[in-house]
Amino acid sequence: MSEANEHLDKLMQELRRGTLTIGVLSQLYEPQYGYSLVASLEEKDFHVEAGTLYPLLRRLEKQGLLESEWDTNETRPRKYYLLSDSGKVVFEQLVVEWKDMVNSLDNLLKNKGGS
Amino acid sequence: MEMIERYVYAVTQLLPQSQREDIAKELRSLIEDMLDERVQDGKVTEKDVEEVLLELGEPRKLANKYRGTNRYLIGPELFDHYVMVLKIALIASSAVMGVSFIIGIILDPPSILQTFISFIISLVTGLPMAFGWTTFAFAVIQFAGNTHLKKKELQPKRSWKPSDLPPVPHPKGRVKRGEAITGIVFYIICIAVFVFSSEYFGVWFFENGKFKEVIPFFNEEYYGYYLLFILLIFGFGIIKECLKMVYGRWTMQLVLFTAVVNIISIIGLIFVIAEPAVWNPNFMTQLVESGQLVPHSDAFKTIGIIWEQATLWLLILFLFALVWDIIDGFIRVRKSR
Repeated sequence: MSEANEHLDKLMQELRRGTLTIGVLSQLYEPQYGYSLVASLEEKDFHVEAGTLYPLLRRLEKQGLLESEWDTNETRPRKYYLLSDSGKVVFEQLVVEWKDMVNSLDNLLKNKGGS
Repeated sequence: MEMIERYVYAVTQLLPQSQREDIAKELRSLIEDMLDERVQDGKVTEKDVEEVLLELGEPRKLANKYRGTNRYLIGPELFDHYVMVLKIALIASSAVMGVSFIIGIILDPPSILQTFISFIISLVTGLPMAFGWTTFAFAVIQFAGNTHLKKKELQPKRSWKPSDLPPVPHPKGRVKRGEAITGIVFYIICIAVFVFSSEYFGVWFFENGKFKEVIPFFNEEYYGYYLLFILLIFGFGIIKECLKMVYGRWTMQLVLFTAVVNIISIIGLIFVIAEPAVWNPNFMTQLVESGQLVPHSDAFKTIGIIWEQATLWLLILFLFALVWDIIDGFIRVRKSR
């Protein structure tokens, strides 16, 4: 049983990795800093660890999908992230692809077992 | 809050210099945010900090996530070959040193302690040398491969086509693993012999069944001079054999590399062998002194002629072998098509 759980864990990790990017991009039409993003995703039942999110934000910024800016006016400096123009285009395309994928997978799951 | 600084340092230490400062700043701000959420009344304890850091996880793992790609000296596609060559190199060099240790004991039983000490010294210097050169050779192959790949990726519109697939080589065009391994073992034994037991090259004399002395072929004074050439020649030979094994087939590039290596070897050999200073200038005199040879006898003349001619014939033999190696490569490439 524990072995099955291990496999499930690994598969879930792979599954989450791709959806995480879509989820994160979806929340960045307004600038947010890392921890506020963790909280707002959590509020919407989308769980993500800070240790995963922060590196992801930097990677997306490096790829040019996000822009960032340090805000030093608050009690502590915070790095705010925001969708760039190309990020918006990529995100909208991703949403279309995602919906297609959900539809076709739903279809498969309805007709499983070769019936 | 010393613990926070220690954590931030542990993570950023594993990251490229250029990103450290920014990531450190962001991490500190994140940890403080997490602490704020945890502690509502504003009194942060050691325990809170510890819990937050535990939630963020091991610094090494966090740093890995920041880095994204793995970096390595010798990549996974070369690693198996690397481990195999490394094993061969270490086993072969230990074997040679072991054998020379045994020879040393047989020749000179009273100074066994001295022999043992020099055996240990040669192990301590020789094995890291074998390890280092093998690793270096593979790092070079990896680096060359990486730059080659990057160049290919930069060329636009050159996507892969099934017709790019090389044909399955004819059995004669394949590199046999055993052949490459034999080659590597041969080169390593040669290097080890030259480096660690040059003094045994020569004519051996025994008296009453006991070893008496060796009259060396080589001139000890110039040993360092030709040792460098020998190391280079055999070192390139090892790289050549490694490449053969990695490619797994005879290709034009491999033959070209072989040709370059062999031509350098030939030039090196001409320097080493044709240079009279390399050979022991007192060889004939020492033979006479040892009492084995009467001057101006027939035997003396014959050996004198052999000694004079040996250089030439040795050179011709080596030249022939190296040239044949190149020709053989060409033939195999043509056959593999």
